[in-house]
Amino acid sequence: MIAIVGAGETKPMRKADGDIRSLTLEAVMAALDDAGLDPSDVDGIVTDAGIMPTTVPHEWMAAQLGIDNHFSAATSYGGTGIVAAPLLAEMAIKQGLAKVVLFYFGVDWGSRPGGPYAFHHIYPAKMAFEKPYGFSGQPSYFALWARRYMHEYGLREEDLGQIAIAQRENALRHGGGQVSRPMDMEGYFGSRMISDPLRTADCCLITDGAGAYIMTSSERARDCRKKPVEVMGVGFATSPISGDDVFTQKPDLLRLSGVTGARDQALGKAGVGLEDIDFAEIYDCFTISCLMQIEDLGFCKKGEGASFVRERGIGIDGGLPVNTHGGFLSYSYRLGIEHVIEAVRQLRGEGGPAQVADAKVGIVSGLSVPDYGLLVLGS
Amino acid sequence: MTKLEFDDFFQAARSGSLAFPHCKSCGQFHWYPMKRCPHCRSEDLEWVPSKGQGTLYSWTVVRHPFDEAMAGDLPYIVALIEFPDAPGIRLVSNLVDVDVDDIKMGMELSPVYPDPDQDPSVVRFRPTAGSAGVPGA
Repeated sequence: MIAIVGAGETKPMRKADGDIRSLTLEAVMAALDDAGLDPSDVDGIVTDAGIMPTTVPHEWMAAQLGIDNHFSAATSYGGTGIVAAPLLAEMAIKQGLAKVVLFYFGVDWGSRPGGPYAFHHIYPAKMAFEKPYGFSGQPSYFALWARRYMHEYGLREEDLGQIAIAQRENALRHGGGQVSRPMDMEGYFGSRMISDPLRTADCCLITDGAGAYIMTSSERARDCRKKPVEVMGVGFATSPISGDDVFTQKPDLLRLSGVTGARDQALGKAGVGLEDIDFAEIYDCFTISCLMQIEDLGFCKKGEGASFVRERGIGIDGGLPVNTHGGFLSYSYRLGIEHVIEAVRQLRGEGGPAQVADAKVGIVSGLSVPDYGLLVLGS
Repeated sequence: MTKLEFDDFFQAARSGSLAFPHCKSCGQFHWYPMKRCPHCRSEDLEWVPSKGQGTLYSWTVVRHPFDEAMAGDLPYIVALIEFPDAPGIRLVSNLVDVDVDDIKMGMELSPVYPDPDQDPSVVRFRPTAGSAGVPGA
């Protein structure tokens, strides 16, 4: 069994002064300090396999930190890599390949030309068959899903609005996020429509920033500075559909691939059920994708997500607190590293005004279509 | 960035028709074009013409310049279109000659092939004349 013993992040902001490497290094140093460990204690580095290798590769980080010989590995890209990293760390620790494993992730999409939209330029069929029609930019991809979802299940715009509003309330209670302006339903409907039916309030923020966390064996974790957060289970699953096809060609566009597989692995390993989950940090790139995951994870049936949110409540004091820091919609968009860090804080009881009462088990999801990751953490 | 396996689509479009990759071995269409049939791994692929008569699966009105090159065209409608004679394919295109208020899920659509002075590979769609809710030609 392994535990997360340190977590750190840079302050959420649209445009940071430092570049991606200085931001990531700052987060790593904060995570090590949080754990009470020295860079020389690290002998393993795990990253996502898609983004960090081209921006902050492990060997640069090792050189910067003066880490001697180290184990390194990477999986998926973005969100799924961020929550599935403990799977690789646990393998390395069990095999005796490493004792203290560092994970880091950051983006400079607030400053980088093209921002998050440029990411999809790596897909040749999208470039050939979609870009000439102006179909680029993640909001338009998810807008097509949202429009279809509305048609099949009678979803209304205010059903999406209630998710954005609940997360805004969480963010304001938490503090420290990128957005400080309250929002009610009138404010939601006043938010600029950018790709019908999605408004700016339905879309994630754009952020320059980084985060990091440190893993070690549960045994060694007891000697660290803070209360260890146990990695109870990790799940990773995917489907045979390419990044070119996944937004448009998947036979059932309204069910996310990999979710049930990752859920069953993660909950099975953790030995808990959905009813044991005290809070969920869900990959909320858009209101619609947050809603779809609530359904696909099994908290309710397909098509019933909106009434689940309305009836159970996803605020800090609700039946299922979701994105207790405000999520990508209202805290920051660093593809989920902030979700892991927030879950760690909740389970340590460091949630401050946003602390979920008696939080003992939390989940963190990572969506990198078609990949999906689910992390179950416990205090 | 375009790939060899994409060429036949654009050749067909330039000659004023639509065609999609189809597997001679298992008889299924696939989209986007791949090196082998993703259903059965066969390399025995052919391009089968479609009449181009589609139905609307989903749509969005893009109002933000995600792509600077399209900024002058805002707002525009992106549609995801299915074809009864090419099951399993959803084509991304633009809807033209339609008011947003008149768009209906499942509406019948016909291809609009480009004029000689336009990009010969860009095929847009408009509501089919005479179909439900659309004035007859």
